[in-house]
Parts: sequence; structure tokens; C-alpha cells
Amino acid sequence: MSASQSAVRSRAEAVKVSRTFDWMILFTLFFVILGGYHIHYMLTGGDWDFWADWKDRRLWVTVAPIVSITFPAAVQACLWWRYRLPVGATICVLGLLLGEWINRYMNFWGWTYFPVNFCFPSNLMPGAILLDTILLLGGSMTLTAVVGGLAWGLVFYPGNWPIIAPLHVPVEYNGMMFTLADLQGYHYVRTGTPEYIRMVEKGTLRTFGKDVAPVSAFFSGFVSIIIYFLWHFFGKWFAKTDFISDEDL
Amino acid sequence: MKLIKDKVAKLSFVALLVTMTAAIFYTPTASAHGEKSQAAFMRMRTIHWFDLNWSKEEVAINDTMSISGKFHVFAGWPETVDKPEVSFLNIGIPGPVFIRAGSWIGGQLVPRSVSLELGETYDFKVLLRARRPGEWHVHSMMNVEGGGPIIGPGKWVTITGSMGEFTNPLTTLTGQQIDLETYALDSIYFWHAVWYAIGVAWLLFWVKRPMFIPRHIAISSGKAASLISANDKKVGMAFALGTVIMLGVTMGTTNEKYPVTTPLQAGLMRGIKWIEMPATTVDVKVEDATYRVPGRAMQMTLTITNNGDSPIRLGEFNTASVRFLDADVLEDESGYPDDLLAEEGLTVSDNSPWAPGETRTVSVTASDAAWEVYRLADLIYDPDSRFAGLLFFFDEDGNRQMTMVDAPLIPSFI
Ligand SMILES: [Cu+2]
Repeated sequence: MSASQSAVRSRAEAVKVSRTFDWMILFTLFFVILGGYHIHYMLTGGDWDFWADWKDRRLWVTVAPIVSITFPAAVQACLWWRYRLPVGATICVLGLLLGEWINRYMNFWGWTYFPVNFCFPSNLMPGAILLDTILLLGGSMTLTAVVGGLAWGLVFYPGNWPIIAPLHVPVEYNGMMFTLADLQGYHYVRTGTPEYIRMVEKGTLRTFGKDVAPVSAFFSGFVSIIIYFLWHFFGKWFAKTDFISDEDL
Repeated sequence: MKLIKDKVAKLSFVALLVTMTAAIFYTPTASAHGEKSQAAFMRMRTIHWFDLNWSKEEVAINDTMSISGKFHVFAGWPETVDKPEVSFLNIGIPGPVFIRAGSWIGGQLVPRSVSLELGETYDFKVLLRARRPGEWHVHSMMNVEGGGPIIGPGKWVTITGSMGEFTNPLTTLTGQQIDLETYALDSIYFWHAVWYAIGVAWLLFWVKRPMFIPRHIAISSGKAASLISANDKKVGMAFALGTVIMLGVTMGTTNEKYPVTTPLQAGLMRGIKWIEMPATTVDVKVEDATYRVPGRAMQMTLTITNNGDSPIRLGEFNTASVRFLDADVLEDESGYPDDLLAEEGLTVSDNSPWAPGETRTVSVTASDAAWEVYRLADLIYDPDSRFAGLLFFFDEDGNRQMTMVDAPLIPSFI
């Protein structure tokens, strides 16, 4: 395009322009991802992420990583393939968490008054750092899918345990035992979320006895590997239609 | 150049807007005012709420009030709605303006879903503790899996005081004294902030160098390998190891701090006790029933037989929480919501006492604006145009008998 040729007259200016682009693209990317990833995660992870009394050792541990590795895989593929930038997963999770926190604080707490200690989001950051660093160190999408995908599933529970453990302390209430998280769900009335739709502690992993969380995490990791493969193709396909086409530069 | 800049700026702005108007604005359902929009047959032929009592009309923050009464699970439950095998006694309030301090069916605490039997009557109580000031419509409510919420009558209750005074003190089984309203909040914020900061640090490490255009050019010209330095890998390794170590350490310290934790509690509760209702000695046969659209009145022809040993009169017809009373027989003293109470809404062609053994056919009219206001009249447009409700008979001593009616309804438009 002639406009760009006439605008940049020196190398210094070209560098400056390029840097301006960096910030603009990063800014746009961040918010586009924030919006898309947030909607996706809400539709697929939904209640498991909204409420402390859904954050169990079986289904939350299984579902949340599987549905959340999608965007990180796609954005990693795009940013690594086109720019050798190992920040895709981190950008995704930073965006998602920002969006979630705004939503939980403004709407769940600010508008409907659910206490924040009942409707905080899940922490996905440890898995994102591992995905990005594994991609950087291994330099291979396949390796990232296998090792990173598994790690994504495995570190989810440990990454959230310091946050949710206090809410798993038992309490006796009117002659029944609850965890504090259960009691939150009982106390803070949700007219649209009756108790029976709460999917927790269900599944066929009972034979493993007490240690269901690690088993669920492994299972989740394996499925995450598959989802990673699938979504990194989406990312590659998306990256083909250039963000800024070469002719414009 | 300016053109592209504008383009990108515009794009960013659109992206921002899209983002802001999407997921961020999601709010969990808070309102329970679906009572009027719910199909009339759902309200008439599923759960019949009666003898309801709201213990207070005004309550201060931290104080409790209760909503109690009975509900009858209708034997002619509609085919189109799942049977109440998994049901949850809820409360219809706009979000947690009260906390549910307790809820009981048949004297049993029901924090979880229960299985209800068709044709039985249960008593229930929900204890509420005021949390947020305002004027709130408080409904009884039953959620039925596969059927949705079945909303009972609502009454306005005022909460006074300020939300800042609300506390939710508890003692855990490990002996900790806590306030569930703010419990663990600091550590939730802390851990999220720490991990977010680590993510930001990683991003900054890459963002501080030229990014998209130069790197894209380098890759296009086959110099991809030059883009990752040995130092980058060292830093990456540090972040990876740091993450793993931090996970291990925080897991350990958390387990030390909270040695006793239990899994979330869940599961269906069965064997909920119903009320053993005395066998009714009144026999009611519906000869016909019509709904007169212009008059907002339902007219039934009933053949009533008194098989008991004391004379009785018809005092009330209750359907979908709307109560039609014959003022000569029954006066409401429970403070039932005005809009759902037709104090003189029930007219019986001959409501002189039925002597023991007597059979008499009478014409009964239930008329009130509530038919329209609560959209019960929509019943005539239902695929299975039937109505149902409870009839209450009284003897001279005020003893009450309850019978159900369930019959086809013919609309009349003139
Ligand atoms: Cu209401």
C-alpha cells in the first residue's frame, strides 16, 4: 500500500511504527481472546467455575482443564508458528481470568450479592506457564501437546488447592455434616441453580477409593492432550488468514 | 500509515465493545418472579401450596423469619412434566437477600434433593436470615428435575438495617470460629494475585522485545532459530521449575494448615415423611366446569355427598395458590397475600350445611381478577384443558377436610 511506503522514511521510524503495531496487536489480541475464551469457558465449564460447591475432586478436576485447554492451544499454535512467541497460553489465561474477575466482582457480587468467597474463578495460571515454557524449551507443538497437555490436567488441582482447601473444612449444621462450600451453596440461595443440577462427586472412579483427585487429574490430562491437538489445528488454520496482511506492511 | 493505524484502532475498539458486552455481563438468575408466566396447568396440577405462613412482614438484618405450611403433591401430575422423584425445596427470592438458615420437609432437614410421592401431603418450613435490606417478594418454591421451578405464593417482606452488619458465624468441626460471609477471602485474592503476577511477568519478558512484525519477517526469511536465545531458554526453565516447585510447596503448606478436609457432600434423600391425612368423608363429583372469559369466573357444578357424621359446608377453593373463600364459612387470619386472596370470591348456590348422609348438587362459582392477573385463564389454551384444585370443607367446630378436584374445563366466550 502506498500510504505506508510514504509514511515510513527512516529505519528508526520503521522500528517505532513496528513497536506501535506490537502494542496495538497485543491489546486487540488480548481483548479478543478475553471475550472469546470467556464465553467459551462459561458455556462449557459454567457452573463448575462459578460456584465453590461445584469444585469437587472428580468432575470439576476433569471438566475444567479439558474445556479450558482449547484457546491456549489455538493461540499458542498461532503465535509460535508465525512469531516464535511462547506466550499464547499465558495471554489466554490472563485474559480469561481478568474477564472472570470483572464478571464475578461486578455481577455476582456487586449486582446479585453472592459473596466472592463463593463465586471466585478457578486458577489456570500454573498450567499456562507450563504450556508456554514447554513449548519454548521443546520447540515442538507435538511435545507441547503430549507433555504440556498432560501437565495442564495434572497441575489444575494442586494449583487450586490452596484456594479451595479452606472451604473443604467440615462443619456440623442442624445435625448433618457439610463442607463449608456445601453450606455456602445452601445458605446463599440460587433460585436458578437447584441442588440436583449440581454435578459433583459423581462418576465411575469410586474403585480408586479416597485418592480420586489424582486419578481424575490424569484422566483429564489425557483428554487435554487430544483437545490440544484438535485446537492447535484451529489455531494454525486461523493464523493462515493473516492478522495484518503482508501487502499492508 | 494513518489509515492502517485507524483501522487497527477501530478494530481494537470493536473488540473491546464485543468483549465488554458479552460474557462479562453474565449474571446468575436472581429473580423469582416467573410466577405469572409459568403455564397455568403447571401451577394447578403439580404442587398445591396451602396453609402458608410468613412469620414476619418486617425483619432486621441478621434476624430470622420463616415461611412454613403444607404442600400437596397432586396425584394427577401432568404427563408432560417429570414426576417429582428428584425435587429440591427452594425459596423464591431475588438472589441471596436472605440466607437459607434451614429448610425442612416433614421435620427432616433437606439441604439436598428429595423424592416426593404423588398424592401425598407434606409439611415444610424454610428458615431465612435477613442479609440485604430492601423489600423482597418471598415465594415458596419447589424445583423438580425435568419440570423446572414450581413457584408458590409470594409475599412482600421488608428487611431493615444495613448489609454491612450481616455476619454468618459458624464453628467448624475442627473448632475454628469463622464468618462464612468473608471466610478465606484474603487467601483467595492472595493466591489469584500471586499467580496472575507470575503470568504478567512471563508476558512482560517477551513483550519488552520487538514482537510481531520483525519476528514474522525473520521467520518468513528462514531465520526462525535466531529468535530464541539461550538466555530465553534459561528464563523459561526457571519459570517452569519455579511453577512446579511452588505448586509442591503451596500444596504442602495448605495440607499442613488444613489437615482435615472432606469431599463435597451430595446425594438424593429418600424416605421423606408425609402427613398422614385422615380419610376424607366428603365425596365430590364434578358434573361440569366452565370458565367464563368475560366474567373472569369459573363455574363448576358439583355433586357433594357428606359421608361423615357432622354437618359440613364448603369454605374454600384453592388453585395455583389463589384462594377463593366463602366469607360466611371461612375468614383468612393468616395474613395471606392480598393479591392471591379472594375473600368473597366463592359463591355456592346453596351452601347450607350438608347433613350427614346428604347428597346435593350445587353450582359453585370462583370469581376474581386473579384469574386474569395470574394468567390462570390461559388454561383454556393448554393442550390438555383441565383444571385442578383443593376444596376445603368445614364442620361447625371448624374441623377441616380437604378434597381434590380434577376435571376438564370448557371455556365460554359469551
Ligand atoms: Cu414474586
